[in-house]
Amino acid sequence: MSSRTEPAGARRLGVSEPKLLLPRVHAGTVRRARLLELLDKGSGSPLTVLDAGVGYGKTTLLRSWCAERPEPVIWLTLDAGDDDPVRLWTHLATGVERLGRGLGGRALASLSVRGSSIETAVEELISGLGVSGHPLAIVLDDLHTVSSERSLRSVADATRQLPANVRVLVSTRSDPAIGVPSLRAGGMVAEIRARDLAFTVEETRGLVLREGIAMSEDSVTLLAERTEGWPAGLYLAALWLRDLEDPDEGVRSLVGSARHIADYLTDEVLSVLAPPTRDFLLRTSVLGRFTPDLCDAVLDREDSARVLAELARSNMFLVALDAEGRWYRYHHLFAELLQLECEHEHVRELRRRAAAWCATHGLIEDAIQYAAAADDPATVAQLLIQSHLAFIRGGRIEQFLGWVRWLPRDVLRENPLLPAAGATCAALLAHPSLEVRQLLATAEQARRQRPHAWSPYIEAVVEVTRAMKIERGDVSAAVRHARRALVAARAGADALSVGVLASLSQALFFAGELDETRRAAVEAVERPDAPDVPDGYVGSLGLLALIDAEQGRTESAEAWARQALSFAHEHFQAQSWTASLAHLGLAVACASTGRLDEAEREALRGERLRRSAQPTIGHAHALLVLAQVRVRRSRLDRAARDLERAQRAIAEFADPGRLPAIAAAIEHDLSTARADAGSHRIVEMPSAAELAVLRGLATGLSRREIGAKLYISLNTVKSHIRELYRKLGATSRAGAIASAEARGLLDGH
Amino acid sequence: MPQGRYRLVVDGELGPRYASAFDGMTIHAHNGETEITGAIIDQSHLQGLLERIGSLGLTLHSVTPISAEHAVGAHVQPAGVSDTDPGATSKGP
Repeated sequence: MSSRTEPAGARRLGVSEPKLLLPRVHAGTVRRARLLELLDKGSGSPLTVLDAGVGYGKTTLLRSWCAERPEPVIWLTLDAGDDDPVRLWTHLATGVERLGRGLGGRALASLSVRGSSIETAVEELISGLGVSGHPLAIVLDDLHTVSSERSLRSVADATRQLPANVRVLVSTRSDPAIGVPSLRAGGMVAEIRARDLAFTVEETRGLVLREGIAMSEDSVTLLAERTEGWPAGLYLAALWLRDLEDPDEGVRSLVGSARHIADYLTDEVLSVLAPPTRDFLLRTSVLGRFTPDLCDAVLDREDSARVLAELARSNMFLVALDAEGRWYRYHHLFAELLQLECEHEHVRELRRRAAAWCATHGLIEDAIQYAAAADDPATVAQLLIQSHLAFIRGGRIEQFLGWVRWLPRDVLRENPLLPAAGATCAALLAHPSLEVRQLLATAEQARRQRPHAWSPYIEAVVEVTRAMKIERGDVSAAVRHARRALVAARAGADALSVGVLASLSQALFFAGELDETRRAAVEAVERPDAPDVPDGYVGSLGLLALIDAEQGRTESAEAWARQALSFAHEHFQAQSWTASLAHLGLAVACASTGRLDEAEREALRGERLRRSAQPTIGHAHALLVLAQVRVRRSRLDRAARDLERAQRAIAEFADPGRLPAIAAAIEHDLSTARADAGSHRIVEMPSAAELAVLRGLATGLSRREIGAKLYISLNTVKSHIRELYRKLGATSRAGAIASAEARGLLDGH
Repeated sequence: MPQGRYRLVVDGELGPRYASAFDGMTIHAHNGETEITGAIIDQSHLQGLLERIGSLGLTLHSVTPISAEHAVGAHVQPAGVSDTDPGATSKGP
């Protein structure tokens, strides 16, 4: 296991192109006018669901319908990998972006930032579609392959927000969990089920005529009955009957047999194929999606292109996924039936070769799918290791974690980077800590059992994951782990430095080590690869803003904060917790220059961004900053409430670092302010400029003298004095001075 | 659903090609139907079988728990199901 690391700007995981292709309409497809009309009629509903078992012609029908539409269609063939909503929506957004440049760009950018919310990306995408106003259809084929609640919920939510110009059509084998009953109740879904999709006798006759099969009217009826109108059965039957001398006899024997129709007909159809063709079919049936090149590689031939073109022409088993004849797949049912004839070992070998070909051609996801289907966890592990940064930096952390979970434990122990990175993903996804601990434990086992396979890179990943303890309220532990992560990063994980430094600076900040915080944060933001790790970059800039603000360097603080927020905005981090530090920094800076309105606004923004289901150090700190600002604004009741919430959270933390000290200081200020407010009716804190005037008054200067000393006009002095009287609840110079003195506002001068 | 022996019935008589489709289960075709009988380990096993039946385009008729005493004559194999999850291809997550 080498300690070589990926280059910092690792290529992000892209899309799997074949998923976005519109399958071609086979020349032999019967045009089912009745169903096409049903689909047209459904245009009033945002959602149309084609819900029937395999072989009912759902994909075929949708594809025919798309071919006849003037408006653009975005086609997405779903699969189990779309259980990761980031993957699902990345593909959809790519489809949208290809339709019109810029329509899907924001959604794509948002999705590629790890930890960003799906809801945001979906909203971005939908509003883009609404703005364009053009009619558009989105087809989601094979929705039944998606079972994750998050993905299904995102589809359900999207369906409910669709603008009027967009329709979603879905094909599935089982009722999808996307809120259909309530959509049904609202008349917002059109459904086409098995009984609609089944061929009628008339349609059966149409198929028979189309295939040029000479048979009697009775035979047509018998055929329709025997197949129960099941399209797959009918197409198989047509394929067989068209080559028979006596189709009527064929139908009779079919009717006379109690065998399952697909079983019977597959036998018949396969038996008339030339052995090389049959062999080709059998061996390629184990592939999912394939190109002629892939077939050549897997079967050790050179003529796959020709064979596939011929097969595509002569029957419907092969679905051409594009017009150029690059990508194909078999009809699902046919592939299943053919695979039954293959030996397991042979199947595995074919799939292994397919995995190797895909890996060589940069089709990482397809390679992983094939390796997994070949029961080859070792290859899956290797592929994941090679591409882990592409997955994680591309926001596909759920997908990555899914693969890690699929691997058997011993493979994880042999490749400790995987459970380590999996633990990071689980922590980022806020999965239960038990899962994170289990994955880290597996990595630790690996280290004990095979110390030579351990590397600084893995060490850095493990320690940075452990440093996430800070959020659960253990600042010293976070510092400890983050420091170890940094040592490891310097020893051999340079690519991870930005993230490590960001974690370390955060931990140090809450521990109160401000100088060291500053050094770490500066190092992070000055690295050329910092912008590649948006959350670390924004977080570090925000910390610098906070530190400078706390230490009185307000201009510098504001500069850091603005840099953080403008970058965050461009990179869809504006709504993430990392941006909160910049807002808090701005709040503290504004407060110390008397801009109390703005200070409170920024503090509120910072606090909101830190809200979460569980109490965290970050949120408690934000509450304290908010309380601090509110005390200065004399909003004492609110400040007291914020302080109380913060203190309740702090009480739960094992090691809250400097937070208790900050809380105690605020409590002191609060009680002082309360006392003063009682006796001197303080309305609001005077600004720094006003206090400068007050000091002048306190030393007995006249208003004109004060103006000369401070380089301000007499009118300005007078308006400051008016404000002072108002804010200090005073009616005279003496009263204002007394009020200010009691509050210590004149101290130090 | 507790674990135990079950009989699943699908429409149409299935030929020998389906033997490998339901590893560990016994297949008995008669009277225009096919019985798939065997021990079901747990819910996931059952779900896998149902999905398999669906993806093969078969129509499920019934799922019935059976006890050992009512086992159908000579066509029943002794209890014992393979370790690997039958009826489900390795698809990964």
